[in-house]
Amino acid sequence: MSDILVELIAMPAVVLGIIALIGLIAQGKKVQAIVLGTVKTVLGVLIMNLGIDGVIGAIEPIQQMYEEGITPILPDFQAFVTFDEGVVGAVQSADVGQIGAAIAWTMLFGYIIHILLARITPFKFLYLTGHMIWIHAGAFAILFHSFGLSLFWTVALASIVDGIYMTVAPAIAQPVIRKITGQDDFGFAHGQTLLNLLAAWVGKLIGDPEDTAEKLKVPEGLNFFRDMAISISVIMIFVSLLGALLAVGQIGVEAFMEEISDGQSWFVFALFQALYFTAGVLVLLQGVRMLIGEIVPAFKGIGERLIPGSKPALDVPVIFPYAPNSLVIGLIGGTVGQFIAIPILALIGWPVALPSMIAAFFASGAGAIFGNATGGKRGAFAGGFIWCFVGWFLISFAYRFEVFGDLSALGASGLGFTVPDAIVPGIFIWLIAKLFGA
Amino acid sequence: MKIAALCGLGFGSSMMLKLSIEDILKEEGIEAEVLSWDLGSVKGQEVDIIVAPQDMKSNLESVETKIVLLKRLTDKEEIKEKVLKAIEEES
Repeated sequence: MSDILVELIAMPAVVLGIIALIGLIAQGKKVQAIVLGTVKTVLGVLIMNLGIDGVIGAIEPIQQMYEEGITPILPDFQAFVTFDEGVVGAVQSADVGQIGAAIAWTMLFGYIIHILLARITPFKFLYLTGHMIWIHAGAFAILFHSFGLSLFWTVALASIVDGIYMTVAPAIAQPVIRKITGQDDFGFAHGQTLLNLLAAWVGKLIGDPEDTAEKLKVPEGLNFFRDMAISISVIMIFVSLLGALLAVGQIGVEAFMEEISDGQSWFVFALFQALYFTAGVLVLLQGVRMLIGEIVPAFKGIGERLIPGSKPALDVPVIFPYAPNSLVIGLIGGTVGQFIAIPILALIGWPVALPSMIAAFFASGAGAIFGNATGGKRGAFAGGFIWCFVGWFLISFAYRFEVFGDLSALGASGLGFTVPDAIVPGIFIWLIAKLFGA
Repeated sequence: MKIAALCGLGFGSSMMLKLSIEDILKEEGIEAEVLSWDLGSVKGQEVDIIVAPQDMKSNLESVETKIVLLKRLTDKEEIKEKVLKAIEEES
């Protein structure tokens, strides 16, 4: 019996269910709501696992097409997809060496440390972006796990770093958030902080905030990129067809059908791999939605009670309405940044993160809003460009040097981290660990 | 009554919006279910009111449900005024 219990409690889905259960009880919910919320959280994790299988299943042939198409010219060429939810979800679902449970426990204890720090330090922000809470818990747990630490020490150290991150990041972003919103009643909580601040710093150097992008007339036609299903499909169809053309160019149609597409024509195969990828992402996101849906309200309720005078730190779209033009400029700047960084990375023999619409829209969009706040329209374009250009090097660095350990051995093959707030501290800790010979 | 809060991914700012709306409904003693959705989920599902940020206006043009557009997702007064008005009109 106790074996069964131990096995059950080691399941990541169950750990997250327990966290939701505690949260629901602490909020004083009715029995029915408690049971429903707990079951939904567990189901969310399982749905996410299904999405992960779809995503990875679609990435593999796309990677293969690029490698077949480009390695004859650049022998070191390697392509991967940069997608935080994908990495953490895949590692959690494969659950090699109890890492899945470590991620879930880090999510809980990291948040407790965050609440404690926010209570005793002057940084009174409550970090409330659910998927980012989960992603950073995942990134830091994976990082410490890669040093070969025990479950206890992995969770302990990852929780401390995670708690510090969630407390400090909104505070260092706040001066720019005040400029963007003209108010001081909420903070910023997203793993983009460090590159957004770089964007704001560059904006200050090269532009003038009075010359704001918000006075320009920007076409509204790019707005359809707000719909994730569309924007991911569009970019992935482009990426997949380009990969197929490169592969066909190198090995010919017949070898393509034999080695890659299992007899399907290259066009249909490439088109549907892109759509399978998008479908997988949508399933995965639905899982994430259910996973955090019960936990975030609990964190919010408990945190607000324990930190008097706290301000909520919120997800990136809350700043979008303050600077819609900058958002579009960021999307353009970010796309340019990615398409310049990619060939450079390929030429220097570093792994290449395939273009990402999520990064161009959400990340470069926010980078541009930060840049606009300090440097007007020039700052906006530079901010959007820099986010993805510099970001692509960071993303590739982490993948190439396995900063977070061997992610494919943990189940996340062909996937890498995106957010600088996980990658940059990750690189520092990884370097320190290297110094001490870990 | 069902109310859906929207954002691009369906779990970040829409989740916060959902919690704000739930607080308001509780204060006013109104019974309603509040959901958080991504923009792509809007079609083919039925709710009575959709609450979305202003910049999604053009994405929602073909949607026939009652839509509340918000200038500031963090402004509780704006949310309260517009959502309560929409609930009154729908019920």
